[in-house]
Amino acid sequence: MSGIQWWCSAQTAAWTWSPRPFFGVWLLVALLAALHWLFRKLAGAPADPLGRSRDRKGGWAWAGGVLALWIALDWPVGALSGYLASAHMLQYLLTALVAPPLLLLGVPVGAWRKLASRPGVVRVIRFATHPLIALAIFQLILFYTHLPSVVDRLMVTPLGSFAIDTLWLVGGLIFWWPVVAPVPARQRFGYPLKMGYLFLSTVLNTMPYAFLTFGELPFYGVYELAPPVGFLAAREDQQVAGLMMKVGGGLILWTAITIQFFLWYGREGEAEGPAPTA
Amino acid sequence: MNPTICRRIRCTPARVAPALAFISCMGVLSTGCRVEAPERSEAEERARTTGYRGILLPEAGPRPDFVLTDAQGAAFDFRVQTEGDLALLFFGYTYCPDVCPVHMASLAAVKRDLSVDEQRRIQVIFVTADPRRDTPERLREWLANFDPEFVGLRGSEAEVDSIMLGLGLPPAIRDTAAGPDYAVGHASQVIAFPPGDGFRVIYPFGTRQADWKHDLSKLLNR
Repeated sequence: MSGIQWWCSAQTAAWTWSPRPFFGVWLLVALLAALHWLFRKLAGAPADPLGRSRDRKGGWAWAGGVLALWIALDWPVGALSGYLASAHMLQYLLTALVAPPLLLLGVPVGAWRKLASRPGVVRVIRFATHPLIALAIFQLILFYTHLPSVVDRLMVTPLGSFAIDTLWLVGGLIFWWPVVAPVPARQRFGYPLKMGYLFLSTVLNTMPYAFLTFGELPFYGVYELAPPVGFLAAREDQQVAGLMMKVGGGLILWTAITIQFFLWYGREGEAEGPAPTA
Repeated sequence: MNPTICRRIRCTPARVAPALAFISCMGVLSTGCRVEAPERSEAEERARTTGYRGILLPEAGPRPDFVLTDAQGAAFDFRVQTEGDLALLFFGYTYCPDVCPVHMASLAAVKRDLSVDEQRRIQVIFVTADPRRDTPERLREWLANFDPEFVGLRGSEAEVDSIMLGLGLPPAIRDTAAGPDYAVGHASQVIAFPPGDGFRVIYPFGTRQADWKHDLSKLLNR
């Protein structure tokens, strides 16, 4: 193994199961923890019990998001992502599809209120996170970061690998924003449309999935020529990565669709009011 | 018309922009679907000039004449037993953590995709540069992980080094002082001897399966 790296990247040295530190990842985790503390400090504790309860749950969601990022980026998943396309895909799922909604759910109620009170910022966010824009940005990032020429050029340096991870995280935050974030309020983007939005992204995911799973040859030189890890040949590893994208990504998105459905169902029930009693 | 409905369907720039952006992005994505594998300038440039993605040595003479022992313990005469076939010769060792397994895995994967007739006309010859640790059993088992048809050859260190030197390759460096898990420095290229001799093609480490796929049929059917 080569010397200390601040961020994971592809290596020419053989893989070993000796843990290695990635200080950049630790710094990111510490920054995210500090950011949550700052959000709570600036926003203050909500006066109402419902807000306090939401913030408590939000704290757990934020912690879950940070944990997902930590697992994705630190050893061993982060390090393996320089050797195996399947590990790289796991990293993508955690960074772009698992961590962002949890982080957004973890933002304290008061912080959202403060954001809502800034019309200029809200206007920019409203445009950037318009469902069509968000979906397009996310799909572009997904497509670009899975292009063989991009992966082969970026994954070989810590900075390039960091760029890919950052794009995934930012893309994920933009993608999940219209579904999860309460600001800006989108009256017409209700639960049925949110379900449609998530469903559309499961369909769009099919393109890179097919590209990876049914490719006759390994697409990524960085993984094809990497020192072997385990028993997977390069093409099989790529097929596993494609299946992970379809099955793992699909599972996450369908879970979100199901949650939206039950939230919708619950709200409809509340709107109808209690059943009349005799 | 009801003014509320009229306002709802009015196409203001703020409403149209996201839709246009979405359509544009999807257009870019659909165009990108036709993007080929990454540019591989060196190998592709060679293919444009010589027809092969490997490095062509046009006047390399006949294939080398040496006899080593195969993993079954029988003598293997390289020149005689590979005559008329495409021989892919590589010097490595089974404890190699990177180059050797990658080359062998690539060759095995691409060979599997060839026709049965083409597969029969290819011989992958792996000569161990580390005969101390690469026992016949070890050699056989290791190669069988890739393709049981691959031929493993052994000889003394001096014999193997001499063959390598004869082919213009540097002799192996065996760092035995580093303990039982020592590394062996060895040439990392596969040398292709097409049927009929006359020329060789060198495949350095970094040769992709796409390159092998491009060249193997050409080498067989030249």
